[in-house]
Amino acid sequence: MSKIVILGAGISGHVAATHLRRKLSKKHEVVVVSPNSNYQWVPSNIWVGIGRMKSEKIIFPLAPLYKKKGIKYKQAKAISFFPEGDKNEDKPYVLAEYVMGENAGQQEKITYDYLINATGPKLNFAATEGLIPGKNKAYSVCTYTHADHAWQGLEKVIQDMKAGKKAKILIGTGHAKSTCQGAAFEYILNVEKELVRHNVRDMAEITWISNEYSLGDFGMDGVLMSYGDMIMKSSDLVEMIFEDRDIKWILGAAVNKIEDGIAHYENLEGEQKSENYDFAMLIPAFSGHGFKAYDKNKNDITEKLFKGFMIVDADYTPKPYEQWTVQDWPETYQNPSYKNIFVPGIAFAPPHTISKPRKSKNGTDIFPAPPRTGMPSGITAKLVAENIIDAIKSGKESLNHKGSMGNMGAACIASAGFGFWKGSGISITTYPIVPDFVKYPDSHGRHLGKTFGAVGLAGHWLKLMLHYAFIYKAKMKPFWWLIPE
Amino acid sequence: MKRISPRMRFRMNNPFLQFFKFIILSVKIMVIVAGGHGGTRESKS
Repeated sequence: MSKIVILGAGISGHVAATHLRRKLSKKHEVVVVSPNSNYQWVPSNIWVGIGRMKSEKIIFPLAPLYKKKGIKYKQAKAISFFPEGDKNEDKPYVLAEYVMGENAGQQEKITYDYLINATGPKLNFAATEGLIPGKNKAYSVCTYTHADHAWQGLEKVIQDMKAGKKAKILIGTGHAKSTCQGAAFEYILNVEKELVRHNVRDMAEITWISNEYSLGDFGMDGVLMSYGDMIMKSSDLVEMIFEDRDIKWILGAAVNKIEDGIAHYENLEGEQKSENYDFAMLIPAFSGHGFKAYDKNKNDITEKLFKGFMIVDADYTPKPYEQWTVQDWPETYQNPSYKNIFVPGIAFAPPHTISKPRKSKNGTDIFPAPPRTGMPSGITAKLVAENIIDAIKSGKESLNHKGSMGNMGAACIASAGFGFWKGSGISITTYPIVPDFVKYPDSHGRHLGKTFGAVGLAGHWLKLMLHYAFIYKAKMKPFWWLIPE
Repeated sequence: MKRISPRMRFRMNNPFLQFFKFIILSVKIMVIVAGGHGGTRESKS
C-alpha cells in the first residue's frame, strides 16, 4: 500500500489527485492537503472581475467531491518538510497546520510515500509597497474573492462616469518581475468592452502598464506566429488591438509603490515616474511560500529543496541569455535530492526566465517571470501522477512520462469581451512554450504551423466552452478523463 | 502599424463565419495541445 500526499488543490494538485485516484486501487491512499475549501477555475476570474459571472459559477467545494471519490482531504496548510522523517518518525512527512474546523490551529505530521508539491505561488503583494487588493483603489483578479472586490471597485467607477466624472484606468503588472501578463491583458480588454457596453467609454482613459520590454511579450519572449495568411509578431497583434480600442501603454515599468490613486514606477531609462488612476488592477509578484525543510537530525536543509520555489530536474547553472537552451527546463519535475518528491505546476523553480532579462540604468531588474498557466500546470501534474502510478505498479522508479515546456504546446484563449453574440477572444497557441532556437532558428524558436493567432467571436465561444468543460472535468463527472489537460 | 480594417472587423464579428472558425480553432488547438509532449534532453547535441 502506498500513500501519496498532494499539497495544494489548485489546477495542478487537483489534476494529480483525480488521475491518481482513478488509476490506483483503493488500497492506496491519496491525500490532498490544502488550506482552501473550494476548487476555483482561475481563468474565469476575469469575468467575475467585470461582473459578468458570479464567483459561485467558477468554484465548488472540495470536501464533498473528495469524500465521494475516496480522496482524503485535510483543510490545512503545509509549514515545513521533513523528507527523511525525524528521530521519532521513520517515514518522510510534511508538518501541516489545520486552518478550519475543530482541529484549527493543530499541527499534524502527514507521512507519505510520494509527495506532490502543488502549492503554486504565493501572491507576493508585499513586494510592492502599498499594493494591497482592494486598497488604494488598486485591485487584483488572482483569486475569486479578489475578482469580486475588483468588480465592486469597477462598478463604482462606472457609476461615477455615468454621473459625468472622467476616470483613468490602469491595468497591468504591479512589480518589476510580475508574471501572468496574459490575465491582465484579458482584463484590460474586458474592462474596455464593459465600458462600451455601459456607454461610458468616452469618459475613460485606459492605460496598460507592464514590465514587458515590448507588447505581447507575455513572459514568453514574445511570439512570432501565423495570423491568417500573414506571419506576425505578438507585439504587432497586441499593438493592433490596443490601437483599435484606444488603449495607451507604458512598457518596461517596474511598479514599486502604490499610493491612493497613484502608481509609482521606474522605467528602463532609470527614470522614476508616476501614473494617476481612479481604478487599477495590477498583478503582484509571485514567490515561493517560504517553506523550511529539515533532515532527520533537524538540521536545516531548505537550500537542498528550495530556490524560492522547489528544486526539480532543471539545469540551474547560471548562464547568459544567449546560452539558454530548452534542455535547461525540467522534464519529470522530480526533486533531485529526494526522488519521491515531485513538483508540477507553478511550484517548481524555473531554471531562468523565458523573456530576455533587462536592467534599468539604475540596475533594477525589469522583466517578466516565466508564466506557467493552467494548461502546462495540468499537463505536468498528469505526467507526475502517471510516473508515480507506474512506480507503484512496477515497484521501481519510473520516469517514462516527460513533459518539458520546451517540448509542449499551449493555447492561450484570452477573453477580449464577454457576450455570446457581442463577445470577442484572442486565441494564441504556441509550440513550444519555451522557444527552441536550435530547432526553429528562423521563427524565434517556435513552430509556425503550431503557433498561430486568431481574433474574433469564436475566441469567446472557445473560452466559454473551456470554462464549462474544465469545471465538468474537475467535478469528475462521467468520462471526465476524456477531456485533455 | 497594422490596423483592423472594416473587412477584418466584419469577419471577426460575423457569427456565421465565426462558427466555422470555432470548429477549425477547436480542432487545431486539440491537435497542438493533445498532440503530445515529451523531453528534450535526448536530443541534446
